[in-house]
Amino acid sequence: MQNKKSALIAFLAVLITVGALWFSNRAVTPGEATWDDVLAEATAGGYRLITTSEFSERYEKHAKSILLVDTRQEWEYRTGHIQGALNFPIEPTWWSRRSKASALERFLGPDKDRMVVFY
Amino acid sequence: MAATLGYKNIYRDPKGYPEWQGRGLPIESAPAGLAQTSEEPKAPGPLYGLAMIWTLLGIFAGGMALNLTPCVYPLIPITVSYFGGQAAKQGEGKGNLVAHGLCYMMGLAVTNSVLGVVASLTGGLMGAMLQNPIVLIVVAAVLVFFATSLFGLWEMRLPSGLTQAAAKSYTGYFGSLFMGLTLGVVAAPCIGPFVLGLLTWVASMGSPWLGFLIFFTLSLGLGLPLFLLAMFSGQLERLPRSGGWMIWVRKLMGWVLVGMAVHFIRPLLPGHWGNVVLAFVALAAGLHLGWIDKNQANFRAFPWLKGGVGVACLVLAAFMVTSWAMRGPGVTWKPYSEETLKEAQNQKKPVIIDFYAAWCTPCNELEEVTFHDASVVNQAESNFVMVKVDVTKGGNPLYERLLQEYGIKGVPTIVFLDQIGKERQDLRLVDYLPPDQFLGRMAELMKSGS
Repeated sequence: MQNKKSALIAFLAVLITVGALWFSNRAVTPGEATWDDVLAEATAGGYRLITTSEFSERYEKHAKSILLVDTRQEWEYRTGHIQGALNFPIEPTWWSRRSKASALERFLGPDKDRMVVFY
Repeated sequence: MAATLGYKNIYRDPKGYPEWQGRGLPIESAPAGLAQTSEEPKAPGPLYGLAMIWTLLGIFAGGMALNLTPCVYPLIPITVSYFGGQAAKQGEGKGNLVAHGLCYMMGLAVTNSVLGVVASLTGGLMGAMLQNPIVLIVVAAVLVFFATSLFGLWEMRLPSGLTQAAAKSYTGYFGSLFMGLTLGVVAAPCIGPFVLGLLTWVASMGSPWLGFLIFFTLSLGLGLPLFLLAMFSGQLERLPRSGGWMIWVRKLMGWVLVGMAVHFIRPLLPGHWGNVVLAFVALAAGLHLGWIDKNQANFRAFPWLKGGVGVACLVLAAFMVTSWAMRGPGVTWKPYSEETLKEAQNQKKPVIIDFYAAWCTPCNELEEVTFHDASVVNQAESNFVMVKVDVTKGGNPLYERLLQEYGIKGVPTIVFLDQIGKERQDLRLVDYLPPDQFLGRMAELMKSGS
C-alpha cells in the first residue's frame, strides 16, 4: 500500500519535472508582431505608442526632460543605444516583470508625470 | 508595467533602436565591461598579521568541511569504532583518549604537511597528476570499492595487526598516529581539488615554511571533528539501539560514493555520456533506496524519508535526462586551417578561436553553457567564424606553431580576430565567461574595424 502510494507520487513528480523543463526550454520562435498586436498590448498595458519620427521631434526639442529607458539586455545596450538612454534590462517574461517592479519604481524616480519612453 | 506603478506619461517606441540608428539620429555606446577577466591574476604578496590569521581561519573551516567529502566520510565510523575499542581496552581514562586523539591529529597533520611542503617545492605537478586519466580511474575505482562495502557486500575491518598493536597501551599511541597518517593518504584524492587552489598559491609563493603552516592548519580542521567524535566514541555506545535504518543510511552513503566516482571519470567519457551515466546512477539509487530496499525502522517518519529520497533521486534523474534532451544546438565549430581564416577575411567576418583540451574543466563549462546559449549561438552563426583547436594531445606541428604564434600559455584560451585578421589582445579570454559577458565581447569585436 505504502509502496504503491509512493510510486504514484514518484511518477507524478517525474512527470512534473519533465513537463516543467519542457515548458521552460522549448524552442519558441517569436512571430513578427503586427501593428495591431502592438496596439492591443499597449492598451492592455496602459501605455501609449510613439513612432520613431514623432519621438525624434520631441527628443530634439526637450531631450533633457524625457526619461529614455532601454529595456534590452546590457550587452545590446553597450554596443549602441539612443543618446541619453538609460539601461534597465527587462526580459520578456512575467517573472522578470514581477520581480523587477520595485526596482523599476526606484529607477523611474518619484516624478510620476514625467514623460517616459521605453524601447 | 510602469502604468501599474502610477506613472501617467508613458510611451513605447515599438521600432526602437534599429529604426533610430537607421535614420542616423544621435546614438552613443558604452565601452564593454572587460575589466574582470582579461587581466592576469595578481601575484599574491607575502602575508602579514590579520590577513594571515583570516586566511588560516578560512583554511581551517575548509578542512572541517572536507570531512563531508566521500573519501573521508566512510572513514568516520572506522575511526570512531577504533577509538571506542581503545576506550574499552583501557577503561574510561579520559586523559588517555585525549592523548590518542592528539596523536591521531598529529599523524594526519604530518601527512598533509609533508604533502604541502612537497607541493610547494614541486609547483604545479600535483595539479597535472589530478588531471591524469589513470589517477582519475584509480580514484573512481577506490570510491566504488568503498561503496560496495557500504552496500554490505563485504565488511570493512581494520587489519588484525593494527588492532593488536592498538590493543597494547604503549604501542597504542603509535597506532593512533598511524591511523592519522593513513587517513591523510586516503583522503588525498578528495582533498585534492580543494588543495589544488592552495597548492598553486603556495607554489607561487615558493615558501616551504608557509606551505607547511597552511597544510598543518588544514589538517587541524580536518582532524577536529574526527577528534571530537573519537572523544565521545564511548558515549556513542549508549545511543538508542540502531535498527535497519542504519543499514539504509549506509546504502545511501554508498550511492553518494558511486555518484562521486562517476563525477570523477566524467571528463574521460566522450560527449554527454557522463551525464547519461550520472542520470542512470540517480535512477538506480532512487529505485534501490525508495522501493527495493526492505529495511524498516521503529520510527514513523522512516517510510516517508525513504520514499522522499527515492522520489528525489528519480526527479534528479528525470531532470538530467530531460535537460540534456531538451538542450538546443550548440555553436558549430570549424577545424583550424589557413583557408578558413582567408575565407573569413574575404567575407569580412571576425574569427573566434577556442583553444581547448578535453580534460580542462573551464573549457567544458564554456562549451556546455556559453556555447550552448541561444543568443551566443545565434550571433555566432550569423556574424562570426568559430574555430576550435583541440590541444589535448601534443605533437601536431600545425597546432604547436599556433600555440607559439598566439603565445598560448594554457587552456582555455579564446582568441578574437577582427575582420582583417588581427588579434584583439584586450578581448583575449583565459577562463570561463558566462554567456552575457561573452556576448559583450562578441559585440565589441564586431565593432572593431567596421
